[in-house]
Amino acid sequence: MNDPRNSDVLLECRGIDKNYNGPMVLSGVDFALTRGEIHALVGENGAGKSTLIKIVTGVTNRNAGSISFDGHDIPQEHSKNAAEKLGIAVIYQELSLIHGMSVAQNIYLTKEPLLSGLPIIDINKMNTMAQEMIDRYGFDLKATDVIDNLPIAQRQTVEILKALSNKASLMIMDEPTSSLTSTESAQLFKIIRLLKSEGISVLYISHRMEEVFALSDRVTVLRDGRKVAVLEKEQISPAEIIRLMIGRILTDNESHHQMVKKDGEVVLEVDKLCSEGKLKDVSFSVRRGEVLGFGGLVGSGRTELMRAIYGIDPFDSGTITYLGKPYVPTVEKSIAGGYGFVPEERRLQGIMGGISITGNIGIANLDTISSKAGFVSGAKELERAQKAIALLNVKPARPEVLVGNLSGGNQQKVVVGKWLIRDLKLLIVDEPTVGVDIGAKEEMYQTIERLSQAGVAVIVVSSDLPELTRLSDRIIVLRKGRVIKEFVEGAVSEEDVLRAASGLVEGGAQ
Amino acid sequence: MKTGTLDWRQLMVDFRLFGILLLMMVGLTLISDRFLTVDNLTNVLWSVCLIGIMTTGAIYAPITGGIDLSVASIAALAGIVANVLMNVYGLHWLLSIVITLLIGVLIGWVNGVVTTKFLVPAFIVTMAAKTYLFGVAMLVSNGDQITIMQPKEFLAIGVSKFLGIPIPIYIMAVLVIVSHILLKHTVFGRQCIAVGANEVSAKLSGVNPDRTRIIVYIISSVTASIAGIVMASLTQQAYAMNATGYEFDVITAIVIGGTSLMGGNGSVTGALIGAVMVGFINNGLNLLDMPSAYHPIATGIVILAALILNQGVSIPKSIQYLLSCFKPASVK
Repeated sequence: MNDPRNSDVLLECRGIDKNYNGPMVLSGVDFALTRGEIHALVGENGAGKSTLIKIVTGVTNRNAGSISFDGHDIPQEHSKNAAEKLGIAVIYQELSLIHGMSVAQNIYLTKEPLLSGLPIIDINKMNTMAQEMIDRYGFDLKATDVIDNLPIAQRQTVEILKALSNKASLMIMDEPTSSLTSTESAQLFKIIRLLKSEGISVLYISHRMEEVFALSDRVTVLRDGRKVAVLEKEQISPAEIIRLMIGRILTDNESHHQMVKKDGEVVLEVDKLCSEGKLKDVSFSVRRGEVLGFGGLVGSGRTELMRAIYGIDPFDSGTITYLGKPYVPTVEKSIAGGYGFVPEERRLQGIMGGISITGNIGIANLDTISSKAGFVSGAKELERAQKAIALLNVKPARPEVLVGNLSGGNQQKVVVGKWLIRDLKLLIVDEPTVGVDIGAKEEMYQTIERLSQAGVAVIVVSSDLPELTRLSDRIIVLRKGRVIKEFVEGAVSEEDVLRAASGLVEGGAQ
Repeated sequence: MKTGTLDWRQLMVDFRLFGILLLMMVGLTLISDRFLTVDNLTNVLWSVCLIGIMTTGAIYAPITGGIDLSVASIAALAGIVANVLMNVYGLHWLLSIVITLLIGVLIGWVNGVVTTKFLVPAFIVTMAAKTYLFGVAMLVSNGDQITIMQPKEFLAIGVSKFLGIPIPIYIMAVLVIVSHILLKHTVFGRQCIAVGANEVSAKLSGVNPDRTRIIVYIISSVTASIAGIVMASLTQQAYAMNATGYEFDVITAIVIGGTSLMGGNGSVTGALIGAVMVGFINNGLNLLDMPSAYHPIATGIVILAALILNQGVSIPKSIQYLLSCFKPASVK
């Protein structure tokens, strides 16, 4: 490398390979980060960003390659504790903070100052130390505040303080603004610049190009597990980054999606659905052959809405009409009536990893593969599984393979596939392509398009804006549990949706 | 595509288990000339039978990710209740058995409801049940070791033979077959496995995890009651301490048989082989004139070994790991 800043390199990864008992997630990735720089790591979902972070922070081990940090070689058998000791910190949204404890208690967890000579925590000293640190950085926090009472943005600040108290020299932030308002985001950027001025490096992961553009000194672009480019400050432009991320230039057609009005009969109609603290007067309908997109930030009530209309969670008031009849959903009734549901978190809610493809598909189809007396026909079960495998091109196409051993994309195909072999009328998919490779993503889109052509009503919830605009015939944006905007006909851009979701929409009622 | 329906992994596990079992038998034959005698093998068979019967129902709790520690107390109570119904209230022996089994249903239902609706972990619920049911058994029997003298039909369950084979063996065989079919070939079996593999996913696919779990604890409790009735008949005794410690033998048998305590899979045939092994281990220790203090030690080691193997850790790897513990930190 001819980089003049090489002498100042804090973190250097060379030739990193990683596979999770399947396809390569990272292959031969080189990555370098200098002291005191803000470095953005970008790439589409599934490009390998999170995996690279996990390797650096010792959450998972690499298969090949070398890493050095601050002059230390990091062995292949890395660990979270070792990374922390070296000064690598990850800022999580709120996960690592302990509820019910104060800011100071969280900052000094496991390294509390003690009363001299006694194994007893010196609470006053701890609070003073924490407050001094807070004041030094000019944060709007009290050391004695309890975590539970703080908004997410401030919890993030506590995370940063905790990392600072650990003498972290590298802070990794994975989508730190995903649940922040724009004012809170601006506040975070100020903190990030402050960290930089203290000589701390920040590794920043975001899908939001304008942030990357505004903040970063350098940008590394990953695509399909490979490093595509490293851009210097003066080379950074959103268009260039997007081009490198997807490997082609977006045509106007793709950035501006033309939506088409569908006029099939109404399959599901929701009227003034309310659920305490989650949903407020949500009304919408979806027709045969229509793809209805739901946009909004994480926590806007999208997932809660889907759970309510599928029958998982009860709701307080409002009515649902399904196929022209009043409907009070329960999961069992919904499935019998022609719903399909692909949950948000594939690993936790979608798949049964320790069970075969056949078993995963069979469980949602027990009604069609068993006799009245409750005996399952193995032959029918296998035939259904093979049908779903063929329909969605699941690889490997072997019904007996455990779903946990499949790649993310193929796992998702199984979760979707179990509904496709039913008499489906309404399919709800929540974040259908998270952690799915690009090939499988495209196949998923084609599947959804095929379904809608066949007359199935499809509801798509997605944070992936290109995905949402590409798939939807109509887009509803939720914010704080309310419908804030509906894009019906004509052109809609990703920016329009994002502006609505962030509350920047004209007349944006709060 | 017949192979698609065959569970090759389970077959391998069963086959391996069977091999180990044969090795144990050969070993025991070589060590003790008392092992391969009709008397001794019959003895082993009795204890295997009782554990085996309990296992056929108790296996469903681990399959759904739970556990049932109350089976031994349920069995002891069942024997006592059956005796009281027949010999104190003078009910017909068949009616007494039916009532005893219904009480078993009730106990299992309580275990299941407390676990699912009140969200108390199954481990705690069934441990509490083990304790209070033992108390009830002591109360009903006055803490006495009651000898059951009649009715003859009841006592015949344990001792009479059909085609030269004792009746309890038939009971066990029927329950093993029923349980195997229930697990592998019915909707309920699929639902149990799904609940154990991923409860949320199962629920979103239309399974009712609570209902499934409640039925699981009822099944477990009913087979424990059956074992208790057979035991009372066999030993001609109703006693609160009759089955003390059997729950651990049952769990050992289940775990050795390849069922994960984490849920999501299970093998009734494997558990049967496991029950036979537990029987042989206890018998072997007896034959070797080991002091009884060594029995729980040996059983404990077997449980741990089975669990370690169950985690998918290979034996060479484990040995390698153990050796590496004695070396200074490895340098790569």
